[in-house]
Amino acid sequence: MSNETINSSSEEQERLAKALDFSNTMQTFNLAKNNLKVKTQNLLSYSTNGGTFRVSQELIAFVNMAVTSGKSSLILLDKNDIPIQIDDTTKFLEDISSLYFEVINEYYNDYQKLRSSRKIEKVLEI
Amino acid sequence: MRGIILFARNNGYVDYVKIACASAGYARKNLSEFDEICLVTDSASADEHPELIKQYFDRTIISDNFQPENTRLFKDTANSPEYASFKNMGRSEVYELSPYEETLVIDCDYFIMSDTLDQVWGSENDFMINYQYRDIAGRHGGNVSYIDDFTIPMCWATVFFFRKSEFAENLFNLIIHIKYNYKYYYALYNCSGNLFRNDFAFAIALHMLNGNVSFKAPSLPIDYLNNSFDLDDIFRVNSANDVIMYCAKAETIEEHLLSRFTNTDLHIMNKRAIERNVDTMLELGETL
Repeated sequence: MSNETINSSSEEQERLAKALDFSNTMQTFNLAKNNLKVKTQNLLSYSTNGGTFRVSQELIAFVNMAVTSGKSSLILLDKNDIPIQIDDTTKFLEDISSLYFEVINEYYNDYQKLRSSRKIEKVLEI
Repeated sequence: MRGIILFARNNGYVDYVKIACASAGYARKNLSEFDEICLVTDSASADEHPELIKQYFDRTIISDNFQPENTRLFKDTANSPEYASFKNMGRSEVYELSPYEETLVIDCDYFIMSDTLDQVWGSENDFMINYQYRDIAGRHGGNVSYIDDFTIPMCWATVFFFRKSEFAENLFNLIIHIKYNYKYYYALYNCSGNLFRNDFAFAIALHMLNGNVSFKAPSLPIDYLNNSFDLDDIFRVNSANDVIMYCAKAETIEEHLLSRFTNTDLHIMNKRAIERNVDTMLELGETL
């Protein structure tokens, strides 16, 4: 092994310091993004007739299929795999769709705010 | 009747009753489908804040049952760890104590900041609890923890729901039995430590109630229990559904990242951090 000394110019050192400093920004960004994702998951929950449903694109598409094929009531498995009777599929579809759009829109707005600003003070409004 | 129950017994180190009042104020502000919020405490703790309790709780139940000394380590971020007594053995009695048909039990350091838990009322399930948890600082990505690599999944008794039913009655009878014999069950299930933990007792009781066969109780409407461990701190409380936290970094826990939580229920384990902000939290919550 040779005892080579790594010499870097002050410009290189500056670049390195800037890159390492940026890791704080990235950690903060990723933490905020994960927390937004979990918040969204928790808010995408809808309960009716004793069952709790995780509102997803799949659930909305399935219920929409049932509504368009003329089913006014149906049995659905909830998030704990309990069969739940849905008496009014049209209203159920309206409720889960509006919840989905509301929560996802909020996620979108929060995420845009997060990605458009590199300054944490601005994102957190502090 | 539908009620929310909080347990709080002061230990001379943490003012649990005051924290419980703040938590009740948050629950009242963000949930609407319940009838009452109830505090279960002992007479000495109740005497410390009689006016505050009247403002935040519809009902107070005094339970002076003897509780054996349980000592645990309290941390305020990575600094000043201190041992103090910890009175957590009362909650197994909740089935007998609860005057409600449907009961949501929350730890006094659990802050309800969304309306998601309103979805527990009228549930098909006699009992609901979370197995999945996450650390808000991202240090543990964990979904489900196990009591031990060779035993059963652990549930989090921080928040749970039950209805007066045969299932719930038997479950709590088992939990009481485990509480009084916990050293035996700790050995049987390879539980770590000597401290009695409700999380372990609930997980073991659920396992026994299912004939010692793997079983998961239905989950609460929230998918994860959002834990802020005691290495974190509160930076600022903005409103009853908006808080900015200092989250300890995974690699260097003395350093923190800021993160904001809106419409997200949080279990804030750093009691000193809550105490530093409790007056603001009391103001922002809703009173009777």
